[in-house]
Amino acid sequence: MTNKSQQPATKKVVVTGLGMVTPLGVGKEEFGRKLFAGECAIDTIKSFDTNAFTSHLGAEVANFSPRDFISVKNLRRMDKISLMTTASARLALEDAEIKINSANRDRVGIILGTSFGATDVTVQFADTLLTQGPSFVNPILVPNTVMNAPAGHASIELGFRGVNTTVTHYAVSAETAIGYAVEEIRRGTADFILTGGVDILSKFYYEALTKFHALSPGDQEQEKCRPFDDARNGFVVGEGCGIICLESMDSAVARSREPYCEISGFGLGASPTKPTCWPKETVGIKKTISRALKKAEIGIDDMQVICAAANGSKVLDATEAEAYREIFGSSKAKPAITSLKGALGESFSGGGIRSCALALSMKKNVLPPTVGLSNPIRSLNFIMDRKKDINITNAMLAGISFGGTYAYLVFTNCDK
Amino acid sequence: MNKNKRIVITGLGTLNAVANNVQEFTRALREGVCGIKPIDLFDTKEFRSKNGGQIKNFIAHDYIPNDFSLKRMSRADQLSFAATLEALDDAGLYPLSNSLKEEMGIAIGGGSGGLWEAENFYSNLLKKGASCAHFSKLSSVYCASSADKIASGLRLTGPKTTFMTACSAGATAIGYARDLIVNGHASVMLAGGVEPMCRITYAAFNALKSVDPDVCRPFDKNREGLSLGEAAAIMVLEPLDAAVNRGAKIYGEILGYGVTCDSFHMTAPDEQASGAVRSMQAALKDSGLSIDNVDYINAHGTATPVNDIMETKAIKEVFGKRAYLIPVSSTKSMHAHTLGAAGALEAIVSLLALKNGFIPPTINYSQRDSQCDLDYVTGGSREAQLHTVLSNSFAFGGNNTTVIFGKYAGRDTEND
Repeated sequence: MTNKSQQPATKKVVVTGLGMVTPLGVGKEEFGRKLFAGECAIDTIKSFDTNAFTSHLGAEVANFSPRDFISVKNLRRMDKISLMTTASARLALEDAEIKINSANRDRVGIILGTSFGATDVTVQFADTLLTQGPSFVNPILVPNTVMNAPAGHASIELGFRGVNTTVTHYAVSAETAIGYAVEEIRRGTADFILTGGVDILSKFYYEALTKFHALSPGDQEQEKCRPFDDARNGFVVGEGCGIICLESMDSAVARSREPYCEISGFGLGASPTKPTCWPKETVGIKKTISRALKKAEIGIDDMQVICAAANGSKVLDATEAEAYREIFGSSKAKPAITSLKGALGESFSGGGIRSCALALSMKKNVLPPTVGLSNPIRSLNFIMDRKKDINITNAMLAGISFGGTYAYLVFTNCDK
Repeated sequence: MNKNKRIVITGLGTLNAVANNVQEFTRALREGVCGIKPIDLFDTKEFRSKNGGQIKNFIAHDYIPNDFSLKRMSRADQLSFAATLEALDDAGLYPLSNSLKEEMGIAIGGGSGGLWEAENFYSNLLKKGASCAHFSKLSSVYCASSADKIASGLRLTGPKTTFMTACSAGATAIGYARDLIVNGHASVMLAGGVEPMCRITYAAFNALKSVDPDVCRPFDKNREGLSLGEAAAIMVLEPLDAAVNRGAKIYGEILGYGVTCDSFHMTAPDEQASGAVRSMQAALKDSGLSIDNVDYINAHGTATPVNDIMETKAIKEVFGKRAYLIPVSSTKSMHAHTLGAAGALEAIVSLLALKNGFIPPTINYSQRDSQCDLDYVTGGSREAQLHTVLSNSFAFGGNNTTVIFGKYAGRDTEND
């Protein structure tokens, strides 16, 4: 039985639009300017009181005005996570110069990653149920408690009706969603797919992270996010949404759109790891990278850049750095390594925002610095202090999650 | 990528309201057993409904050998782990060889995850304050926990992903898993869904008044809403040639799937049925089949007043006059609506129907609705040699997924 809808694997999938609502700014101009200037969005949390907690820092989205992006009719029904998602999706469509109309709406879709969804709304609902009982819960909250609500709201506001899926797997949610979207473009199920990730800060979620001793603590030590640094003592949590617009190279050429870059391959993997613990062994990272490179049909010597997963956690950063030492120790390539989490915090589904950043880097041939890094744990080619001009042919976006899940994406320059 | 690579199902595992294994499930589906009964997992006094499809007599140790720690496993984790072991055993792959662990991945449709356990935690938090609450109880609250527990427990190192598109998640996970094998990201995939009974979810559907106070009556004139249920449903997917080479039992083949979005409303289905129509059409296109090939439809059939009219209309629009000739049943009348697991559980129903040659009935049906005028198999199950079964799953957020399964009749693989 032949399968007519499937296309050859050689179909190139390219990034043609970027949209983001981040602690470093809304939209690619503001975001890019602050990112490459090495600005840090981490500050004392303002949206809720952290006095009772052991940590007080976070990277919060500020100066985001949903009304600039979303109709009043739909805006009223949306919670924070859906507002950020819908605004980012609109920005990505605009950046890609795609107008949704009745001719194309069934060929535009969204595949979104979120690690924890609307923790604020879910807790609000549970709170009423537990304190006042089933008769008092508010049915209006229910639709927003499901993790697929942000993608649903975005589709309603923007009017696209193609493939629509929400993926969750902790800290690799966005990377996994993007990989799925790449295959869907290749398979021809949609002409344009918006993909990326979103997560939000909420008080309950923040408190839970402090109880897991995951965050950089501020009581005895200096609270700070220090990816790959000797003095790192935990991560600082962030929030936000980053969405990229994918289409086939043929489609981009036909529309005379110059892509930011190609996503030439991805690899997925796992390693047995205790729940909620970062992996201590490098085997999962190495295996996943080799799968990603094989799919992109390149070797390790072809890799110039790694946008790392490191977030200032003692275990994660050590494992990731060790994996790169093992992989690149004997190779000619000494890829430049940067982590954006020192500036943006760890937002788990931040793979969407990081993909936007990497796409900008590919276009401008410049890498943002690893904010918060001054004494690297290993002698790798870390980008510190300030941005670096670098010709990028291939770059990797690292996705590593607690619980032992991995997703690596390979970004390739379209001009080379 | 071998674009014509055929993927078959060689193992099934399930626990649900009418059966604690696949053999019992086949019998229950044939006999039309109703598993919707009073719930005893929590107090239902204040709820509109008192009934649900609860799994009976589940003692985790009876299903999960001592080699695996049950510590920190939520009910959802335990149920899905038990179903996974049954599916692997059924496929003749358990215990797993080391080479298989390398190339095996997992994709699960999730729902409430560990929310039931989290509720106890949260209740303590509200009553006694943060210092007395055991935040470690949250380690399995998210639905991604089940795939983590299974992958780590079995030491799998292939892809690991969780889908959160509410009631279509289990179906999407199966389609995604097929593509991961087709595209060379894994050799064998576990795919399915899990949804535990949970008071918060129960409260949410009661607040929306979308539950029937008694038992759900799909397509019946007097239907008042759905019945909530719980289930784990896992299947083993592998390439046809690999299954044939090892002489495996083959339940059926995944011929195609389609995913679309209503872009209409967060909870209400589009009465024009456009999203459902397009998802069935997308699945037909993906499978390369015509409407004449489909000989049984396992409906979404939630028994809400709106869904059943909308779905009937959609089937008529896709199949034209042939709609009246195709048996359509909602097995939710037996096992209830299992949300995140529903698509996977009903995929198992479809495969058992194909393999064993029968059409499962819609039970609890007594009065005809003039707007629901198809053949709903209301007079008990029918013996029938089926070749192609279509299964629908529609969700909050406007997410629609349709999967099409085909009987594997021992055709040779030469013309692949």
